Amino acid sequence: MKVNLSTSVKLALAFGVIGIAAVGLAQSTSTYKGPKVEITYLHGFTGADRPVMEQLVKSFNDQNPNIVVKATAQPWGTTWNQIEPLVASGRAPDVAVINEDQVTRFIARGALTEITPSALRAAGIDKNRFFKPLFATADYKGKSYGVPVSSVAYVMFYNKDLLKKNGITAAPKTRAELLTAARACTTDKAGKKAGEAGFDGKNLETWGISLYNNWVGSRLAYSAILQNGGSLTDKDNNAAFNSPAAVDAVQFLVDLVQKENVARGNSTEEAELAAFSQGKVCMFPSGQWYLDRFEKNPSYALTFLPRIGTKQDATWGGSSHLTLPKQPAGYDRNKRSAALAFINWMTLPAQNLTWTSTGSLPVMKAVADDKKFDGQVISGIFDKLGSVYATSGFPWGGQVLGPFDAAWERAYLGKQEVKASLDQGVDEANKQIAQVRSQFK
Amino acid sequence: MSAASSARVTRRSQRGSLLALNETNPLVPYLFLLPHAVFFLVFIVYPVAFGFYVSVHQWDLLSGNSPFVGLKYYAQIFDPSSPQSQFFWRTLLNTAFFTVVSVPLLVGTALGLALLVYRPIFGQNIFRAIFFMPGILSVSVMGILWRWMFDNQSGLINVIREQFFGQAVIQFLTTEGWAWVPIIVGTVWWTIGFNMTLYLAALGGISQSYYEAAQLDGAGPWAQFRFITFPLLSPTTLFIAVTTVLASFQLFGQSLVITGGGPTRSTQSVIQYITEEAFGNNQQSSAAAMAFLFGALMLIFTGFQFRLMAKDLRSSGKDG
Repeated sequence: MKVNLSTSVKLALAFGVIGIAAVGLAQSTSTYKGPKVEITYLHGFTGADRPVMEQLVKSFNDQNPNIVVKATAQPWGTTWNQIEPLVASGRAPDVAVINEDQVTRFIARGALTEITPSALRAAGIDKNRFFKPLFATADYKGKSYGVPVSSVAYVMFYNKDLLKKNGITAAPKTRAELLTAARACTTDKAGKKAGEAGFDGKNLETWGISLYNNWVGSRLAYSAILQNGGSLTDKDNNAAFNSPAAVDAVQFLVDLVQKENVARGNSTEEAELAAFSQGKVCMFPSGQWYLDRFEKNPSYALTFLPRIGTKQDATWGGSSHLTLPKQPAGYDRNKRSAALAFINWMTLPAQNLTWTSTGSLPVMKAVADDKKFDGQVISGIFDKLGSVYATSGFPWGGQVLGPFDAAWERAYLGKQEVKASLDQGVDEANKQIAQVRSQFK
Repeated sequence: MSAASSARVTRRSQRGSLLALNETNPLVPYLFLLPHAVFFLVFIVYPVAFGFYVSVHQWDLLSGNSPFVGLKYYAQIFDPSSPQSQFFWRTLLNTAFFTVVSVPLLVGTALGLALLVYRPIFGQNIFRAIFFMPGILSVSVMGILWRWMFDNQSGLINVIREQFFGQAVIQFLTTEGWAWVPIIVGTVWWTIGFNMTLYLAALGGISQSYYEAAQLDGAGPWAQFRFITFPLLSPTTLFIAVTTVLASFQLFGQSLVITGGGPTRSTQSVIQYITEEAFGNNQQSSAAAMAFLFGALMLIFTGFQFRLMAKDLRSSGKDG
């Protein structure tokens, strides 16, 4: 559910844009000049984004009479289970969409084909047109394996009215500002502020910021670690999320609950979302996919994640990439060039602009600068889209992210000290990485 | 008909030719078995055998190189320093806990409901349908429903506690122990109808004459239940207990949807962990070994229960 559902009005608009784009691009810009070929395309856009993707494929087919793209939509999880068997049996689709948390795994398992610089050039794909870290999400050991088509990011929603009522007029941008705002927003059921004598941190009427236990909550910890200059893994791709930078970042978040009493411990994403919607919380960090719920209410706004860390701006992002699954020997070269022509077309600004109607963020600056976004709430984070980082780059996604999310949950719920919890997570992760290291390139 | 030909007919009726197009062909019984055997071999025997093959190799579909590793992955489950051992036994214990708590509820409540709606009351069929109805929902629908009911912030249960009884909210979904409540209550609500229907069918098989005789002897409703209904239902109770235990051990969807296995793996079922190992950690061989070990434990348990059942049937046969 990364890309949230849009309204039918948005879809209607999207089709309108596609129609105009189709007329404008009636003359094909395709780099494919070979004989007529058919290529298969597997993606997981099965929600309200599905008709938009199907319409895009139809436009491509209409504009490129010598390429027929046969698209199949199936749930992401099914695709992750099937990619390797499909490649092994020589029946993989010509183009497959793979998400940020899986892509390095399939690259390192040898299931995807490199898209070489010359192939990129021949197809007209300029990697500089994309946000740099976003394109690099599907890079591995200096080679590229995918082109971004869709993107989501962690942002911070905030309740302007509630902040104002508590004397805060601007969205916090730094650790200190965040703390000040969160303290100002926190009041217990008896009306006492955090730090006041008799303040009851267990019974909050309103509170500063939403933290929660699941993997989405854990992405805030990931963002804070990156901001502090830390990372999930080291240069050998072993888990390293217990570095001093990481411990400091996570400790700050856990202290918001345990020391400052400005966030609730023991909470879930749904509970915090409900509380934020009910006007009880000032700040709700989460995926931008919740924008639909808040953009029409003038009390709410969103901002890029404040600088919790000390080194750089950073936030977590999820993304989907067009990739070329490995094919058996003797694979039709025309299919490969047609597939690359399709990937190029699908990631051109016009198509990406259409795709943003599904709730996706722009994958390139040219689209972020489009006047469609003038005055839109979401455009508030566009100047920092180059600081969005995926959890990718290490092949053993499950082995690292599983223990990391569990470590966050233990620390946040107060089951363990932050350092001990991260140490335990790293230990679990590295034992499991050692077991599988030989199975990855 | 000559003597010779009549002898031939007799011989043929005893044991026909393999090509005979009538019932004397000795292949006939096997041909009847064939359709089932094909499905049984293709969908049960082959996958099980292949699964075992995977569990003793370091299975790697893509490299085409899957070396034999013997019982390495089985040994790993018993090596306390491996994460697999830690998580497998922990999630197995979770699953056992769920079974121990939910099975008595699923059997007892089903019996209670069956006794209530068996009596000729107004709207009998409507009640039977209502109690059975949750069972037709998919696990995701049921899971989301109960997740909402027990939501930490605005779940119905917590709202009632707070608004009507002035009690503090219970963080059901993020507190170890409490997290089992929505899973168990949801499961009972979801599957109770099936067991109830089995009990209703069994109740229909008890002759009214026993109750009439008991009434003449002055037996009250409790005595009638204690000495007639309950003993005569015992084969059904055993059957329900066995199938419910097996179904409970296969806990997967409910905890996946309601708590995601959390907090901190405390409600993760063993099957959910095996799935995580296979598809999240890309460790098919290790997951296959765990699945076989878990299957073997279930088999021992089932064997034990069947012996119990057979003994009970024998003794009830003797009584009759």
